[in-house]
Amino acid sequence: MKKTRKLGIVLLLMTMLLAACGSGESGKQAEGSAGGQEKVKLTIWHNFAGDDLRAKSVRSFIEQFAKDHPEVELDAQAIPPDGYRQRLSTVAAANEMPDVFFVYAGSQSSELYQAKLLQPITEVLDAHSDWKDKFLPGAFEPYEFEQGQIYSAPLGMSATSILYYNKALFEKNNVKVPTTWDEMMTAVSAFNAKGITPIALGNKAPWVAQSTILGSLADRVTGTEWFKNAAAQKGAKFTDPEFIQALGHFKELVDHKAFQDGANSIDNTQAEQYFIQGNAAMMISGAWTLTNLAASSTEDQMKDIEVTVLPPIPGGKGKAGTISGGAGGGLALSSRTEGKARELALELIYAVSGPDAQKAIAESNSMVMYDTDIDKSKVTSLYYKAFNLVKSTEVTPVYDAYLSAEAAEVINNGLQEIMMGGSVEGVAQKLQDAQARSAAP
Amino acid sequence: MNATITAASRSGTGKRAVFKGLAGFGKLILLAYAVVTLYPLYWLFTSAFKTNQDFFANPYGLPKQWMAQNLVRAWDLGNMGRAMLNSAVVTVSAVILTILLSVLAGYVLSRFSFPLKKVVVVLFTVGLLIPIHSTLVPLFIMMKNMGLLDTYGALILPYTAFELPIAVFLSMAYMSSIPKEIEEAAMIDGSGWWGIFGRMILPLCTPIVATISILAFLRFWNDFSFALVFINTQALKTLPLSLSLFSDGFGTDYSLTMGAMAIAVLPTIVIYLILQEKIMKGMVAGSTKG
Amino acid sequence: MPTAMRSKGFIALALLPALLLFLIFVIIPVFWSAYYGFFSWKGFGDAKFIGLDNYKEMFRDPIFWRALRNNLILVVSSIVGQVPVALVLAIVLFKNSLFSRFVRSAVFMPMVLSTVVVGLIWGYIYHPQFGVANHVLDLLGLHSWTRAWLSDPKVNMLAISIPINWANIGPYLVIFVAALQNISPEIHDAAKIDGSAGWNKLIHVTLPIIWGTVVVTIVLCISGSLKAFDHVIVMTGGGPARSTELLATYMYNSTFSVYRYGYGSAVSTMIMIVSAVLIALNYLATRRKSS
Repeated sequence: MKKTRKLGIVLLLMTMLLAACGSGESGKQAEGSAGGQEKVKLTIWHNFAGDDLRAKSVRSFIEQFAKDHPEVELDAQAIPPDGYRQRLSTVAAANEMPDVFFVYAGSQSSELYQAKLLQPITEVLDAHSDWKDKFLPGAFEPYEFEQGQIYSAPLGMSATSILYYNKALFEKNNVKVPTTWDEMMTAVSAFNAKGITPIALGNKAPWVAQSTILGSLADRVTGTEWFKNAAAQKGAKFTDPEFIQALGHFKELVDHKAFQDGANSIDNTQAEQYFIQGNAAMMISGAWTLTNLAASSTEDQMKDIEVTVLPPIPGGKGKAGTISGGAGGGLALSSRTEGKARELALELIYAVSGPDAQKAIAESNSMVMYDTDIDKSKVTSLYYKAFNLVKSTEVTPVYDAYLSAEAAEVINNGLQEIMMGGSVEGVAQKLQDAQARSAAP
Repeated sequence: MNATITAASRSGTGKRAVFKGLAGFGKLILLAYAVVTLYPLYWLFTSAFKTNQDFFANPYGLPKQWMAQNLVRAWDLGNMGRAMLNSAVVTVSAVILTILLSVLAGYVLSRFSFPLKKVVVVLFTVGLLIPIHSTLVPLFIMMKNMGLLDTYGALILPYTAFELPIAVFLSMAYMSSIPKEIEEAAMIDGSGWWGIFGRMILPLCTPIVATISILAFLRFWNDFSFALVFINTQALKTLPLSLSLFSDGFGTDYSLTMGAMAIAVLPTIVIYLILQEKIMKGMVAGSTKG
Repeated sequence: MPTAMRSKGFIALALLPALLLFLIFVIIPVFWSAYYGFFSWKGFGDAKFIGLDNYKEMFRDPIFWRALRNNLILVVSSIVGQVPVALVLAIVLFKNSLFSRFVRSAVFMPMVLSTVVVGLIWGYIYHPQFGVANHVLDLLGLHSWTRAWLSDPKVNMLAISIPINWANIGPYLVIFVAALQNISPEIHDAAKIDGSAGWNKLIHVTLPIIWGTVVVTIVLCISGSLKAFDHVIVMTGGGPARSTELLATYMYNSTFSVYRYGYGSAVSTMIMIVSAVLIALNYLATRRKSS
């Protein structure tokens, strides 16, 4: 009897202790840079956590930095990509950002900037001007929040609208690879008549159709100028006739059954597999498909696949032969990092996104926003073809890199709605409303 | 007893055959149902041994080639040895704490009346309704101030706290069906409440303790959100984080993901099987006593 | 005999640890988060007090109402689909035979699996091109019934509720089996002598004894269905075009995808209010039955 009673008391004390204690500990993590002899503490968070080549090479550069800098106590954290946004948002709420962290281009980084959680890294870019100059045009655009101040250097490039096609299927069925919009529609009907899916699409995560198809398609109709104005809500609106026409072309694809049934319920990986197994003649997808296929298909399957760009649209204002894309995510610097730690953090950013790292990433079947040569023998044949295609084309904006997070969600879901029979005008109106709301002060 | 049985059998030998047939049919349906519920497990373990190509080309069949190295690689890359140890420490501590606290609380709430009892019950009910994602930021800030972040406590305490409502309700419901005469007899013996609880009530609670343990174990073992946000140090990371390493939003390496999941699910199966026996042992003990 | 004083001490010591832990780690954060619901806040940076504007916006947003409707579908389907099935299984399998143990374990197994696995498998079953569901319908000559189960907004909520029910019967089964332990063998014997068997015994003997547990399981069903999140995220992500959005996925999106932390907090407070109302109704309904 006494035993159980004691147990109760112990429990009570334990919970109170556990709940109350530890508050003394929190002061421990004060500035590491205070003492002269002490090691400088530096934390870096990124989402290169997986087993793919790119993740491994990024991690190896971080490890190399730690080896080269014995004066730094480096805490490097690879966070699973599924939870990365959530993790970063939560610590941001408590103002507990790590010194250096990976950010996505677009709304995430600009929201963090607006919350004053970032500081520019222009200094390190200027210190290595040969490095800075080799970035491709537009590489810093998503990160130049103020004139002349750059907040991150991209670690990758998202080329989002490569037209992959199965050469063997085209030849066997005597269909011409489309170079005009009419030929595209002809190809769609021809493959449908043979019982082959014309274009594989896995739009379960709703950004896929927007990022891979709409961006490029709309640019061909409206031109880049118009889109940037509409995104800024200056002199153009998403209810303008050119955008309605662009959405109309997407609807045209849907109405002609260009995509397989239920495209909204299968994911991108499943669609890639559907395509690579020869069930579909084409797939419009980003450079990530190269990385995925490198890991999950054989060279034998890949040898029939060729890459090109979407055909132009008659009467469109946009340039032909372009691909939508832009800078990928990069490393950013916390606004709270100061002094010696800041200097070393900038060096770390250079070590992980410098010329050697860019080359290593490009050679791990993953595109970069950086002018570099790659060793053909290190990459897959398909990647090599795409690498050269992208190198020779101009890049137009991806929609969600310019839209507010809310507007991007609206257009993503709007495209699904159109695929389910929704009206083009209704979707355009909702997009316009959402973007106008976020653009308003 | 004997008389009633023979009477019953005499009146219905024909009926009995029908019953037997029905029972057989029922068993068949149950068996079919069991197979359907077991299939995913089979699918997981076969998929874990496939290459990525095999996984897509041949989703239902057996692996063309048994890739044991999927499991080995997932184990190494996900640092699963360490993660499993952490998960075990956190899960077991939180389960024990949950049981101790909830069974005591459940007993008090089912047996005594005291001022504010209704308030306490309502509070615990509210606890059932909470979508955890909305509490992440407040919890994070709170634990930062307490200095709990990055310790096992950062998981053990919130896990326990969030599991308490279910656990308290289950033990309340269970104990309210234990006849009160048991305590009345003990009180005459002069035992105090701690004695009554420890010697009379607790032993009767094995089934519900096992039930709570199973539910809590699963919840803690599989939790992703808290583990993601409250733990920084690589050395303290728990298993669910290892499982999501091989998917990047653009594509998933299924051979590694399935390999990691197959490893992570084994302990839960073992724990379930052990605890299920405990639930039934309660019955055997109860019946011999009764 | 224990005195009143000693009872008080026991109550305090036995209840306080649980209560304290619960108050600190659950109740405080909940009110804290509800407080954010009155702000326009991205989750970081400056916050602006906007009173009830988040709630007003929520009530005007058709997606909120759709999510609520979808949640109510889940509540009904889980109360109808999980509790009775689990109860019947518990009674039928309430033996220590090898067969019962095997079936009981099998029924529980979907629960130990990660929702990712459950989602993947049901994704294959419903796959628009190679799915088992469509294949079986074709074999039965019901070709006109085949469809893309997860993307057709007319049926996808129903299609999702099937795997959710299927995966969640296990815990209720375990809970009922544990509750049935409390029916002492004498009561079974007494029922036998009375001649009550089958349904009669279930309704007049078994149910009244475990009624408390039945009520708790219904409460768990309601709260679980309103918090449902994982299965939907894995199977459809709330789409297409938000047709399978649930309150919890709606909240999660607002909070972490479009950076509207304040709005997300308001939604999560609303989830709690809705479930509290439903649970209160449940108590009223079940009390009347039992009296």
